[in-house]
Amino acid sequence: MNADKSNLPKTVGVWNRLESLRIINSKNIFKYMNGAGELYLGYRFRHLEVFDYTSAEQGNILVELYFMESPDDAFGLLSLDWGGEPVSFDGAPAATCKKSFTSPTRALYGGGLSRMWSDNMYARIMAERETPASKKAVITIGKAIAGNTQHPPEPLLVKILPLEIGGVWNLRMDRLSFFRSHLVLNSIYYLSHENILDLDLSAEAVIAPYEYIPGSGNPKRSQFLLVKYENPERAHQALNRFHDAYLPGYKKEITAETAADSPSLFKLEDGWIGYKLIGKHIAIVFESPDPESARIILQKNESNLLKKGGGS
Amino acid sequence: MKDKMPVLTRRDFIRGTVGVTLGASVFGLQWPKAEARAAATSLVTVVRDKNAMDSAKNIDITVLEKMLTETLTKVTGQKKTKDAWLSLVKPNDVIGLVPTDHLNPTHDEVVEVVKNSLMDAGIPEDRIRDAQGPRNAKKCDTLIAIPGLKAHWLTGVGTVLKNYIMYSGSPSSYHKSNSAKLGEIWNLPFVKGKTKLVLVDSLYPLCDKGPQPDPRYQWNYNGLIAGTDPVAVETVCLKIITEKRKAIRGEPWPLSPPPICVEAADRVYGLGTSRMEQIQIQHYGWEDELLL
Repeated sequence: MNADKSNLPKTVGVWNRLESLRIINSKNIFKYMNGAGELYLGYRFRHLEVFDYTSAEQGNILVELYFMESPDDAFGLLSLDWGGEPVSFDGAPAATCKKSFTSPTRALYGGGLSRMWSDNMYARIMAERETPASKKAVITIGKAIAGNTQHPPEPLLVKILPLEIGGVWNLRMDRLSFFRSHLVLNSIYYLSHENILDLDLSAEAVIAPYEYIPGSGNPKRSQFLLVKYENPERAHQALNRFHDAYLPGYKKEITAETAADSPSLFKLEDGWIGYKLIGKHIAIVFESPDPESARIILQKNESNLLKKGGGS
Repeated sequence: MKDKMPVLTRRDFIRGTVGVTLGASVFGLQWPKAEARAAATSLVTVVRDKNAMDSAKNIDITVLEKMLTETLTKVTGQKKTKDAWLSLVKPNDVIGLVPTDHLNPTHDEVVEVVKNSLMDAGIPEDRIRDAQGPRNAKKCDTLIAIPGLKAHWLTGVGTVLKNYIMYSGSPSSYHKSNSAKLGEIWNLPFVKGKTKLVLVDSLYPLCDKGPQPDPRYQWNYNGLIAGTDPVAVETVCLKIITEKRKAIRGEPWPLSPPPICVEAADRVYGLGTSRMEQIQIQHYGWEDELLL
């Protein structure tokens, strides 16, 4: 893909696109952005195209187009931060993620930066200086990028998570993230500096908190994590490693493989943790206020997973 | 698992066992006890001016010069800028300025103001160098660290200690739990003892970890944070970032991953103090959203 194919305009307002195009691949991504490259390699990164728009009076606009292996990877990059103002591009709905994932957010804007997910592309369009004119230009460039591209649905794994459980627990979709790498997991919810869940590019994972707001008092939160591995053996192995690293001294109970079996539950310093092996999936709930909450969150997610044929 | 090395996890931070686990898994030695270090106080100054940078990110050089003068005199206790510099460096030193060049880089204006101030103090221009990178540092007698204030997605905080990561020659060796070892770089033979001043460009900090700058998490703090103890300065920077994150979300929003390098720089490498009770913070000027 190049500038012509991505329909990038040559001129937007007072900004002119430079002819030069920089193409970054997995070998030189660290030269381009130092350690930040780890983030994109933590998804299935193909290459990056960088364009510059310049204006003598209004500062520059940087356009970065990250081409990923699949739309899931591009979605994952956007899902790392749902903050900002949802933006509507032609043909793409701008629903906020607080409502439903059936009309997913495609682009967000804030402070001069637009981040967007369009097919297998994740894009960052950033104005050096935020002004009404630069915002208009950023949105215009975003529309050009989104034009003629597909709008695939969000990853299947994301749809497993029920929005509400037991009339009490509500999924915080604005904090839901899709990822594959433990470095990315740690930037969302720190578990360990080591890769104790055996995550790699063949895995898919989603994490989000469930929140319960009682009539009075502070909200209670349980962090839910669902990981899909290549096969049941990998999942079993990963859960073993997780237990050894995270729960040393606790009796291992990785026997539950049918819906009738109970999850393994343990009382820790920050609340209850529960996990269950479900075929090639691992479901873990952290920081639950009580064992019943941990159990119901796991059970409801497992039930959804099995309904959608994901248990095997 | 009993025979295997312990793994640092979230639970260590909750239980307060980070030191024990890191000592056994990363450092191969006992984590020195807090009591072993002689109690001392490190001074960190925070000088701010509402007019240092405007909302369009234009820097007022005159204001910045005044802020630097105030910083130098307060850090050293000297009355004049020249005396302040000469209490930190020798007139014949080759002085290396070490700005950060990526992810919220140090503003050129800050580096320029420091350079001009050194020249006004009688240091010849040809003895003042850019010392980012190991080749340049080896030729210097003295280093002035001038990082930009920022969080970092791999190490939690990425301001003072991480500013010398290129001196290691192998920056990727300081990922994962090895980020706890960032302090060892400050003890390399060509680095140790050379840093006479840490001056953090906190005009426009970045409080979320990136990995690329997001303007929604940057704000006009309009400050210079300084001291001679790099760990104390980093600790104050960490406090400001943490408080800003909390203010943005209206609830605690801990840095993730946690910045394990700061406490290790204190307890393992003896570079300074990370204990707030041992840090004397003096702030001057603009007080809005001080975050301390």
